[in-house]
Amino acid sequence: MRTLVLGLGNELASDDAVGVLVARAVRERIADGTDVVESSASGMALIEILAGSDRAIVVDSILTGRNPPGTITELGLEQIGRVVAPSLHQAGLPEMAAVAERLGLEFPSETRVLAVEVRDPYTLGGPVSTPVAAAVDELARRVCNRVERWASETARAYESSEGSSRQLQDSRSASAGRDSEPPRAGSDLAS
Amino acid sequence: MSTKILIDPITRLEGHGKIHIFMDDAGAVDRAFLQIPELRGFEKFVEGRRAEDMPQITSRICGVCPTAHHMAATKALDDLYGVDPPAAAKKIRELVYSIFMVEDHALHFFFLGGPDFVVGPAAPKADRNILGVIGKVGLDIGKEVIGVRKQLRDLIGQIAGKPIHPVFGLPGGVSRALTPELQAELKATAAHAVRFGTFALEVFRDVVLANPEYVELVTSEAYTHRTYYMGLVDAANKVTFYDGTLRVVDPAGQEFLAFEPRDYLGHIAEHVEPWTYMKFCFLKDVGWNGFAEGPDSGVYGVAPLARLNASDGMATPLAHEAYEELVSTLGGKPVHHTLANHWARIVELLYAAERMSELAADPEILSPDIRTLPTATPDEGVGVVEAPRGTLIHHYFTDERGLIESANLIVATQNNAARIAMSVDKAARWLITGGEVDDGLLNQLEMAFRAYDPCYGCATHSLPGQMPLLVQIHDPDGEVVRELRRD
Repeated sequence: MRTLVLGLGNELASDDAVGVLVARAVRERIADGTDVVESSASGMALIEILAGSDRAIVVDSILTGRNPPGTITELGLEQIGRVVAPSLHQAGLPEMAAVAERLGLEFPSETRVLAVEVRDPYTLGGPVSTPVAAAVDELARRVCNRVERWASETARAYESSEGSSRQLQDSRSASAGRDSEPPRAGSDLAS
Repeated sequence: MSTKILIDPITRLEGHGKIHIFMDDAGAVDRAFLQIPELRGFEKFVEGRRAEDMPQITSRICGVCPTAHHMAATKALDDLYGVDPPAAAKKIRELVYSIFMVEDHALHFFFLGGPDFVVGPAAPKADRNILGVIGKVGLDIGKEVIGVRKQLRDLIGQIAGKPIHPVFGLPGGVSRALTPELQAELKATAAHAVRFGTFALEVFRDVVLANPEYVELVTSEAYTHRTYYMGLVDAANKVTFYDGTLRVVDPAGQEFLAFEPRDYLGHIAEHVEPWTYMKFCFLKDVGWNGFAEGPDSGVYGVAPLARLNASDGMATPLAHEAYEELVSTLGGKPVHHTLANHWARIVELLYAAERMSELAADPEILSPDIRTLPTATPDEGVGVVEAPRGTLIHHYFTDERGLIESANLIVATQNNAARIAMSVDKAARWLITGGEVDDGLLNQLEMAFRAYDPCYGCATHSLPGQMPLLVQIHDPDGEVVRELRRD
């Protein structure tokens, strides 16, 4: 199983860097078989990053003005409404998933989004604000936990399929078996 | 649902476009404009940084056209250090740039312009999206668009280090020579890209030109402005994206100016309005006379259609044929119909693919002579390229150590800003009468600025899934009486 951690943001634009910072924070802590990608791309360009993964967790900034900076909200793809986007650069994950499905591209079967409320994502060279910087550790922890949970689910699914049929040794399940070792991230966090 | 607050379009609008429509007492449009937020603080941010870092820094400003920033910055460094790159280096740069233009234009035409033209402006709202486009053109074509773009981006990655943020441009050249293996791959992909461009043109003919309603829409007065146009041209006045002379034609299509990019400050100035941070470029030689058309207004356009207008055609055969078809179909030059940008974009896609093919086959492209080492003391440099959305200017001043003292960037959307504002205003006036505004009108209003492909990428990076447009309708006292949003 291939898992993708995608940190989105512009590292030069103050709080917008948060997704990128989280990707960097988890890169060393995360299990093999997980791709950690930083990107400032948006819209349909992301389809090429997401395609080919089985599961994905996306970390991105959001500016609603309704929550204090640093507030983290976790969303499933199904919770993000489909939109008719006037700009492709702004096309959303649901559109990408729908396009991928229609075109028969491999696309994550499950995508989680960690959205972080930010204060200023527009000032180039500005600092990451204190509450947003403070959220990076918590975001990294949640990303690692989520990756670990997916890995254990896959391991369990693999074990049960092993039990029922030793014949089921296609490349996909074999790779799932490899990935099912407990990720280091979990033990690091537990210690 | 918990998402409602987060994804609520209005909450995202600080980072997105907002159209204001001011009505008069009679219920007609008094004034309409589009507000686009921008990244702030660029000048301060780059102060004191090393000039040679600018190709990397500026390419990270924007997630949409980083290759254009990288190339404009690299060329500004050539100028800053007074160094002329070897021929092979220039060709490799132009090759990468051509690949980038093909993939960017392909994305725009099929997936962004597509909802307006391939699906159609009158189609139900639910179909006016990427899925609608795929439904209309077919799965194979949808796959082809994704597939070709992937091939092209992979190639940029192989030549330029990274597909999204190239890292190969150096003052006086490039960081790596091409290998024969890569050249073979480039030739094959270029041939594929040319076929793809030809095919895109066929789609346009079949879907748009064969439909009299679309043609009527393209040529309608609501989407027409008689302005000046600017674009880079080569020595034969043909469109070029990577390097050349900046040529300006007047609203009658006659050459008005031709100048070296280095002299841009002598010809381009910026006008400031109280309602937006955006600065509106205008031609100094004419002057700022408000948001107005005609020869007495310094407003000019850039981007695909403007480039075609500012040139005498395309330097490659298939693209030139396509150019002539566009010009003759739309009644001769200059073509003032903003929506024809979508057609011009395919003409340019085909040119970029043919140019890619020429450069890939050029024996000199394999030369290991790819760098002229800079030795001069830096002080000032200007670099200009044609980004997919129009002319992009980088201008740096440094101290003798090459540390940036000040920098000026004029991005494509800024060159186009006045014309975009006029397009929104004109479309609103034509479309809205008696105070009635509905979703269909809203879409047609959006089409007015979507044709320019104005880039908000420099402005925002955000959680995917949001709605990026709000329309506010104001009464004659300026009070908001109604809001329309896309969701």
